[in-house]
Amino acid sequence: MRLGRDGIAGLIGLAVSLFLLPFAFGLPRLPIVPIGPGFYPALVLTFMAAMCALLVLQDVVAQRRSKPAASDTPAGPKRAYELVAGAFAVVAVYIFLMPLLGFRIATALFVAAFQLVLERPASPRQWALLAALAVGTSALTHLVFERYLSVLLPRGTWTGW
Amino acid sequence: MLDLLGNGIVTVLQLKYMVPLLIGTFAGVIGGALPGFTITLTVIVILPFTYGLDPLAGLAAMTGVYVGGSTGGLITACLIGIPGTPSAIATTFDGFPMARNGQPGRAIWLGVWASVWGGLLGALFLVFLTGPLAAIALEFGPWEYFALFVLAMAMVAGLAEASLLKGLISTAIGLLITVIGTDPIASVPRFTFGSDFIGGGFPFLPVLIGIFAFAQIMTDIEKLKGPQARAPGIANATFERFSHLKVNWEIFKQPFLLLWSTIVGLIIGILPAIGGSASSVMAYDQAKKFSKTPELFGKGHPEGIIASEASNNANVSGSLMTIMAFGIPGDAVTAVMLGAMTIHGIQSGPLFVSQNPGLAYGIYGAYILAHPLMLVMCWAFMPIMIRITNVRLAVLAPVIMVLCIMGAYALNNTMQSVYVLLIFGVVGYGLVKAGFPLAPLILGLILGDQIEINLIRAIMTDGNLWLFLTRPISGGLLAAAALSVALAIWQHLRHQKRTAGEEDPDF
Repeated sequence: MRLGRDGIAGLIGLAVSLFLLPFAFGLPRLPIVPIGPGFYPALVLTFMAAMCALLVLQDVVAQRRSKPAASDTPAGPKRAYELVAGAFAVVAVYIFLMPLLGFRIATALFVAAFQLVLERPASPRQWALLAALAVGTSALTHLVFERYLSVLLPRGTWTGW
Repeated sequence: MLDLLGNGIVTVLQLKYMVPLLIGTFAGVIGGALPGFTITLTVIVILPFTYGLDPLAGLAAMTGVYVGGSTGGLITACLIGIPGTPSAIATTFDGFPMARNGQPGRAIWLGVWASVWGGLLGALFLVFLTGPLAAIALEFGPWEYFALFVLAMAMVAGLAEASLLKGLISTAIGLLITVIGTDPIASVPRFTFGSDFIGGGFPFLPVLIGIFAFAQIMTDIEKLKGPQARAPGIANATFERFSHLKVNWEIFKQPFLLLWSTIVGLIIGILPAIGGSASSVMAYDQAKKFSKTPELFGKGHPEGIIASEASNNANVSGSLMTIMAFGIPGDAVTAVMLGAMTIHGIQSGPLFVSQNPGLAYGIYGAYILAHPLMLVMCWAFMPIMIRITNVRLAVLAPVIMVLCIMGAYALNNTMQSVYVLLIFGVVGYGLVKAGFPLAPLILGLILGDQIEINLIRAIMTDGNLWLFLTRPISGGLLAAAALSVALAIWQHLRHQKRTAGEEDPDF
């Protein structure tokens, strides 16, 4: 049995719903509320499980009906998934480092790294622009949020800054 | 009522409200003009700056973004044939051909003026109809509210182009996120597994920002190496000489077109989460049907631009009406506005206008004033705005990311919200890649708590479940929800037959 993108997504949804359903049924019943705190989540999860099962079924039927793709089928538009993975990694590292390095340093490093991941500067002017944007974004957001909007931004436990 | 409206306008004219409105409108026009940078993303970027402001100042900034963004989309739609926002999609049909025929100035300004007049006509409906709509909503009990929310979700799920099933699953995921944490009646922890991190549930705005902003930005990043990344530049666009009076005459010589397009936009705006793209396409379609010269549509016909732009700005007033009368967001932008109102402790819904007249009429004032402001800004800064729309994604994306992360962090000054943002960023991107629409998820996320509360209230008041069907309004709304799903199934079957083999859209 072949499964497409929808079938796999449906299976994941079905697994999550079936995993959570026993917890919903196991929630305590309260004398003051006639339907208890588990009623509504159980309703949502049952609905989700049913829809996911239908999606899997629909995908299985579609996969059976569909013919194998011909080798000369034109490819779709090129997608740069490696850039997306890099971008997610840079964001995750930024969020992890922010409490350690502090907002100002972490943000400057993040903006520089994010630009580098997306587009490598080709000239000294572009390198200067990259550095200016990194420092400028960090300084400006710090100024606006701390000075004018009273948001206390994270200080670094390693740097104290 | 007119006294209150006058007070609202005078209040917003004060510097402390005018500056956020001005900045919001400017940011909105630019955000709207940038292809791939939607109005919702612009309002998310503006959001952290509004936390520390007076509620009206923050909402004025967001209203400015909304109005400016609805117009900004037409700039790239006319100049390069790519709508800056989905709501400008129908503007490309005639705006781009008109610009290619050597009249880019006429095309853009027809759109800008039509947006202004459509938006201001929409304001009349907003001011005079929100009260009566709220009065109807006041008659609602928990049965009717539950049914209304079910109808809203059924309609939005049904609009998912690729698959109704995925729309419904997306709605269920949104609802599921809201049940994590303590239950709203007895504070019993649900699905927390003893974790402090999710003990209080997931805060709405970081989830929304994560899902929407990450999905949007990462999808744009995907295309960086493709042919879409090399869209023709518009920085050197030059406008021909034209008369603003003539442009206005072109609009007003057909008052029915302007009025009908406005009404279409307004109605689509009132319906939950359908959005500006549907209103502009529908108004365009109507304009073509009623036109004496339908054969000219698609070749640079002014009527096409007027219909699309008047309609998408009137759509904003419809969405504002829904949020203020019913407490239901008309689309993702008003969902962010609803979140911002909650942060300031303001409850939207049928009592909103009567309990917060200063704020409500201030929003009306901001909405009305945003139109002339947008007009002045387009007139004064068009060349600068066109230059900004040419900024590369590699430069824009990191700055947007920082502002999104700030939007989550500044909510309660903790890193926890930022972690939530990252988690849901991954979830949102994964859902988009799996072909799930995000609009139903966002609506489920917003309405989840209210649906549960109203369901329990209804059952606590009377255990008879048939009341949901036998009470006239509730029964009517549930019947409409069932009809909406049935209609969606029929449309999807037809759509599948027509588009078999085509690639799925990103959103």
